[in-house]
Amino acid sequence: MLRSTSSRSVAAAAVAVALLTGFTACSGTPGNAANPSGAAPKAACDNTITKTSLPQVTVWAWYPAFKDVVDLFNQNHNDVQICWTNAGQGSGEYNKLSTAVQAGTGAPDVVMLEFEVLNSFVVRNALVDLTKYGVDSIKSDYTAGAWKDASSGNAVYAVPVDAGPVGLLVRKDIFDKYNVPVPTTWDQFATAAQQLKTAGYPGYITNWPGNGGAGILALWEQANGGASGFTFDSTNPTNLGIKINSDGTKKVQQYWYDLIQKGLVAHDDAGTTDWTTKMVNGTYASYIAAAWAPGYLQGASGASPDAQWQAVPLPQWDTSSPVMVNQGGSTFAVTTQSKQPQLAAEVAMGIFGDMDSWKIGVEKAALFPTYVPMLTSDYFKNLQYPFFNNQTINADVFLGAAQGYTGVVYSPFTSYFYDQMTQANANMLQGKSSPSATVDGLQNTLVQYGKDQGFTVTS
Amino acid sequence: MSVAAVAPVPTPVRRSGLGKLIRRRERWGWAFVAPFLIVFAVFLIAPLIYAFDMSLYQKGLVGGERFTGLHNYVRVFTDPLFLQGLLRVAFYVLVMVPIQIGLGTIIALVLDVLVTKLSRLSRLLIFLPYAVPAMIGALMWSFIYSPNFGPITQLFNALGLNAPNILAPNHIFAALVNVVTWQWVGYYMIIIYSALRAIDPSLYEAALLDGAGGLRTAVYVKLPLIASALIMCVVFSLIGTLQFYTEPVILGSAAPSAIPPTYTPNMYAASLAFNQGLFNYAATVSFSLGVIVFIGSYLFLFLTRKQNGLR
Amino acid sequence: MATTKPSGYQPKRIGSHVFLLVLCVYFLIPLWWLLVASTKTNSSLFVSNGGALWFSGDFALGQNLSALVTYQGGIYWQWLGNSFLYALVGGGGATIICVLAGYGFAKFRFAGRGIVFSLVLGSVMVPGTALVIPLFMLFSKFSMINTMWSIILPSLLSPVGAYLIRVYCQDAVPDELLDAARVDGASELRTFWSVSLPQLRPAVITVLLLSVVATWNNFFLPSIMLSDSKLWPITVGLQNWLVHSNVGSGAEQVWNLVVCGAFVSIVPLIVAFLLLQRYWQSGLTVGAVR
Repeated sequence: MLRSTSSRSVAAAAVAVALLTGFTACSGTPGNAANPSGAAPKAACDNTITKTSLPQVTVWAWYPAFKDVVDLFNQNHNDVQICWTNAGQGSGEYNKLSTAVQAGTGAPDVVMLEFEVLNSFVVRNALVDLTKYGVDSIKSDYTAGAWKDASSGNAVYAVPVDAGPVGLLVRKDIFDKYNVPVPTTWDQFATAAQQLKTAGYPGYITNWPGNGGAGILALWEQANGGASGFTFDSTNPTNLGIKINSDGTKKVQQYWYDLIQKGLVAHDDAGTTDWTTKMVNGTYASYIAAAWAPGYLQGASGASPDAQWQAVPLPQWDTSSPVMVNQGGSTFAVTTQSKQPQLAAEVAMGIFGDMDSWKIGVEKAALFPTYVPMLTSDYFKNLQYPFFNNQTINADVFLGAAQGYTGVVYSPFTSYFYDQMTQANANMLQGKSSPSATVDGLQNTLVQYGKDQGFTVTS
Repeated sequence: MSVAAVAPVPTPVRRSGLGKLIRRRERWGWAFVAPFLIVFAVFLIAPLIYAFDMSLYQKGLVGGERFTGLHNYVRVFTDPLFLQGLLRVAFYVLVMVPIQIGLGTIIALVLDVLVTKLSRLSRLLIFLPYAVPAMIGALMWSFIYSPNFGPITQLFNALGLNAPNILAPNHIFAALVNVVTWQWVGYYMIIIYSALRAIDPSLYEAALLDGAGGLRTAVYVKLPLIASALIMCVVFSLIGTLQFYTEPVILGSAAPSAIPPTYTPNMYAASLAFNQGLFNYAATVSFSLGVIVFIGSYLFLFLTRKQNGLR
Repeated sequence: MATTKPSGYQPKRIGSHVFLLVLCVYFLIPLWWLLVASTKTNSSLFVSNGGALWFSGDFALGQNLSALVTYQGGIYWQWLGNSFLYALVGGGGATIICVLAGYGFAKFRFAGRGIVFSLVLGSVMVPGTALVIPLFMLFSKFSMINTMWSIILPSLLSPVGAYLIRVYCQDAVPDELLDAARVDGASELRTFWSVSLPQLRPAVITVLLLSVVATWNNFFLPSIMLSDSKLWPITVGLQNWLVHSNVGSGAEQVWNLVVCGAFVSIVPLIVAFLLLQRYWQSGLTVGAVR
């Protein structure tokens, strides 16, 4: 811009340089002088570190209750300390990680990621294969399904934290009031939906959110023998298999579409304030929910004090070969930007590597563990939930679901997949496409996108 | 959307004949404009060049980055998601710009002839939403629109009517138009009002004496006098609408199906970059949007060059 | 500037007054809703006997305010402070730079002025948000993302502000005045400071108002630049709480804090607008000055 036509503009350019360098020099925030990791963000931690002379590992995680877990870890460790940052919830954090990957700098050493987005970062070379750092030694501490979800082929890209085995939360009071039995199969579920309506229940048996993403995928998987429809292996990352328009998927899509058409099932978007309100005010008689959802309901409750919630297993298509599915759940992964991967791996394995930290996770953050010692403990099995009239929901429902879950393969572009699914469902609900055409259209969109991104796609 | 309208000023051309001394003094001009030019170069020109450079390369999720020239632009202008978003904001321009400027002008004309307590109070109240960040404005409206607990639904129910779901896909357009109207009308109103106050009253006293009514005076005398301010308002409203982002993002958290992440070109660019990691393509979308907005507003200014007095 | 309107020109204006009254209600209702909602608990926000526009039985404003102080270590106030900092430093800095540039463009006929100024004028039309993603990528090259400079520095750019000052300056500061000062031996800086600047006051207030509000309202840029929650401005922080409540992970839903936080955050600017009425109303008139 500044052409040197006069001595003054040269001076101006010099000022520019001085200003810029001055500003960059100022940009470093104080603190963390002991942090040997150059790649880590220089911002201060959300927790207070007392053992300042120890090396620090930066961690991004979003649960507010995580602070206690970090404090516990730091208190128990004399070789490393965690510097924790809450970089935003879910996609908020992923956006920031994504930018850091692009920038080549700014990622933390350890990052909390949901299972379903691991491959999206693996494919961008953002995550370290932890088998190099001895992660296999703790394999037996985790459920098989969770371990598979954190792996790709023989590589393991994250240490599982919590999971979301899916069950059905029902309003027992509503089912009782209208004298309708709680269903155990999807056929019974459809019948019950009609019975509730006929008996005069003004609400809906449940809600099917078109923007459900992971929840919808889980329901599809249940009819596909637990398979997600994707094949991907990080050892050969350019090969991608996409087959989501199976007969099973179409059957599920048609099933919900019919119930919605009959006015028996609602179709409100999930994750909105309206949806929450309806969830707690009795508009829905049941909620197809992952094991972390009770915590969510608890937080939103207070609306109808006489509501009686009960957890039951997810209805099945075929009771002779039940399929357990999972929705959500998170992990700790080590980024390739970390300058201290060994230490970072140690932290990723250690944060939730004992019973004490898990007690905090279960009680304060309402997490459902993947950590087998916790799952099999009497404490967890016998844990009573006041919200469910002291039902032992883990023993009754979710432990079985978690242990029966065998794991899936997630696509390397989950965010795009869910966005497209939301749009496809919205079009279907507006009558623009049939359920089967909706699924076929989604399949074609994903295949085309995969090709555009440089994958060799088989479908 | 953060700019003011400005009336034109004729630049007096004054030749100074004092030679070298004067010329040396005029060089001080560079010193005064230097800080601005530095900021201008670093935070406007440099990112534009950088974005353009990035847009010349292609990089998918797998495989390396390669130079593809203008191929990304071919892709963008055949990309249905980008084109739909562009069409959508174009519709918003067609609806929102006339509403904002039209309503702002009507209010300003009313306030210009009324000198009462109510008129002073309403001038203040109508301007107040400008002090509310767009993010918070959209947040408030998303609660107010709620089909379950929002006051609009409650009003309909109280009247025994079926309330429309304002957050449904078929109503979301109007819902967003309303948010923006609420937020920005007062701002344009104040600018137009200021322009009206600056008119020399003798110019329309004559018209009034000739028996022209208030409305005729407003349309035939006042509006032509503030044409340049109006045109600048339109340009800024146009630019603001084309880069629609904050309001749909916030309202989208209450209506995810109605407002997909590709709703406007800016949202699409952000989604490409941060959800999908496609930074080169995102840069292409950003740069294309910038060029389109530039051409659009330049064209508008060119077509109205007689009235706006810019050169 | 604001001339007195001719009197004796006030027939019945019932229609106009009704029109204004309707508008006042329309523009006020959302703010009234926010005030009422900020006194509600998390659940009475959604199921409230008095309806959404009236107070519910349990008046929880105090409770919400004290929760704002304690929740997540009181980070809310840090966000509010950040917003102030960014708005004042960014907006103030932009104003200083614009005043200097506008003056330079208006009062000095240096070589290249025409070209440079038309470039600036053209840039008014470059949409600010189209620059956000490129700026992010550029900043990340210099490790400047996730610093407060990544918000403040881009806010310093305001081509409109420079343009406004230039236009105003041409008329408000007569060349003769400057020449007189120069003849008296005043340096250029001194002439600017003591002769020109006082004349420019209304324009400076306008530009200051516009740039402070623009920075205060900023959402897109900080939501992309900043990953450290301690650096967030209030807009990004509240949005994070909103998402966090909607997703509901970790059994924490804080809609009452989102709403109450939104209310508290708009109070300072609204109060400032009410108190400084005289200034912004006369200031914005600059736009119309010929």
